[in-house]
Amino acid sequence: MGSLVTIRGLRKAYRMGDETVHALDGVDLDFDRGEYVAILGPSGSGKSTLMHILGFMDQPTEGSIVFEGEEVSSLSADRRAWYRSNRVGFVFQSFNLLPRLTVLENVALPLLYRDESDPAANEAAAKHALERVGMSHRLDHRPSQLSGGERQRVAIARAIVGNPAIVFADEPTGNLDVKNVDRILDLLGSLLAEGITVVLVTHDLGVAAKARRVISMRAGKVMEDRRQ
Amino acid sequence: MKVFDRLRPAIVNGLRELQANKVRSLLSMSGIILGVASLVAMVTVVQGMVGNFRQFVDAMGGIEKITVDRQALPKDQEHLAELSEGITMRDVEQIRATVPLVRNISPEVRVGYEKIVFEGREAITLIMGCTPDYLPVAKRWVDPEQGRFISDLDILHRTDVVVLGSSIAADLFPPNVDPLGKVIRVKGKRFVVVGLLNNIEGAGVQIRSANAKGGGGMWRWRNSGVYIPVSTATAKFTGNDHLTGLGLRIGDAADLQNTVDQLERTLLQMHNGLKDFSISTNEETLESFKKTESAFKLSLGGVAAISLFIGGIGIMNVMLASINERIREIGVRKAVGARGSDLFLQFLAEAAVISVLGGVIGLSVSMGIVWVMNFILIQAIPTQAVATLDWKIMLQGLGFSVVVGLVAGVYPALRAANLDPIEALRHE
Repeated sequence: MGSLVTIRGLRKAYRMGDETVHALDGVDLDFDRGEYVAILGPSGSGKSTLMHILGFMDQPTEGSIVFEGEEVSSLSADRRAWYRSNRVGFVFQSFNLLPRLTVLENVALPLLYRDESDPAANEAAAKHALERVGMSHRLDHRPSQLSGGERQRVAIARAIVGNPAIVFADEPTGNLDVKNVDRILDLLGSLLAEGITVVLVTHDLGVAAKARRVISMRAGKVMEDRRQ
Repeated sequence: MKVFDRLRPAIVNGLRELQANKVRSLLSMSGIILGVASLVAMVTVVQGMVGNFRQFVDAMGGIEKITVDRQALPKDQEHLAELSEGITMRDVEQIRATVPLVRNISPEVRVGYEKIVFEGREAITLIMGCTPDYLPVAKRWVDPEQGRFISDLDILHRTDVVVLGSSIAADLFPPNVDPLGKVIRVKGKRFVVVGLLNNIEGAGVQIRSANAKGGGGMWRWRNSGVYIPVSTATAKFTGNDHLTGLGLRIGDAADLQNTVDQLERTLLQMHNGLKDFSISTNEETLESFKKTESAFKLSLGGVAAISLFIGGIGIMNVMLASINERIREIGVRKAVGARGSDLFLQFLAEAAVISVLGGVIGLSVSMGIVWVMNFILIQAIPTQAVATLDWKIMLQGLGFSVVVGLVAGVYPALRAANLDPIEALRHE
């Protein structure tokens, strides 16, 4: 498996009043294709900031990111939107499905914002993604009609519908009961087989234990990078 | 094509939001509804009024008609009153000779409201003495099957012939009697009916019950005249050669002021400088009406503009509230790849959907308003429908609402487009 992302000397600083906060303070990391990585750390450790930057939602103050061979540390807003729509997927703790849209429409949403967007093809892709997460029996339901576990499966379908290279899961099991936690984590693990890199962002050691590589962060720095 | 591909889901989304917040959307539309309805109804009714008035002016002889009336001398000439001879046929000859811009000149003698009788049936109406030129000046005619008008020979021989207006003929003769050739008494004297004047109708709408008493609507006074030769009128009734007034028609309305000036000079000269006459045109009436019209347009247009403006503020308000409620949604859409421009388009389309729908509802409300106003006006003045809706005006009203909606939507849409996705996703 080749290298998907290479990060060197990554820094992110915020101004909070008079103080400058270093959310990321010199991070060097490499992610390969098809890796199952957990980023572990307490709140304020910089793990969310790292996820946002790697997920093209934010930009670093300093440092370089090479994604699929391209330097992407200072892209325009529209170019970052392109990467979000085409190369990465997000799974959130609180699912973040749009309540007015059906399951099918929620899953097709990332495709809507692509330059060449064909409604019929989008629907087919969304149906396929929902099959992969075992939710194809609920196409026309609203998110409010689903259980928490089902919602998160729909969210995973939305994350993978655009064939991303990397999926970020931000505390994906934080709002789920024990029975569903394993199911969702196994589902995320199954994405590796398709060459998708899965990055779990969590402060839960039990969740991190599922991953094959655990990166521990504290105060904006990588404290430990361990393969298990 | 690409723009449409992006626009279509935005519009679908806007409709869906509208459906999800029916009451709120309707409230936000109310300003636009009122604005469009008042705008369209106002323009329609004012146009109807203008149309009606033009008909009225036309019935008065049109803009090319000039009227000369006898008038008391002004204060500074009062002591010369006994020198005043009034308007006579000599004035008519002089005007014919010296004011070539005048195409027709109709000397008129007003005998007054007198009784006319036919076999026990009687009516009281205005008796006028006139010449053949009355027809072109008043824009009237006698249909061939309705006899003839007063001729030059009648004037020359002071014949006892009479031409009746259509409504007075209907009053005086039973329906099965042909008035032509019948002898009637006018103020006790015998006259032969030789013709019936054309019936004046309100444009497009038949005068209601022309045969019934009290029928005829606003044009009734124009159909109730009785006309005799001017020479007969002076010889048999008034006993002097004074004319009541002159009706003049010019060829081109553009010559109106010139003609009035020349008339005034000619008449002053003829009357030894005595200002015992007045000259009036329909232009003044038309002018004063135009002022009323623009005053109406300004004030009602102002009302409509203000309500459209308020409608715009209403839409902006609702859009801002809606965006505040949906910050998370905006965050999610951005996280899955929406550009700022996608969200801008989405919220602008939402504002446009609200305003277009409001505009359409406003148009149907305006139809109701116009219908009610017509109903009321027809009760008040028995004439034709005052106002008809014009699709051009309706299209303009709709266009206004779209513009207002788009302008009102720009700021909220920009706010949505510029939200930071991370902040938006954190929003509770």
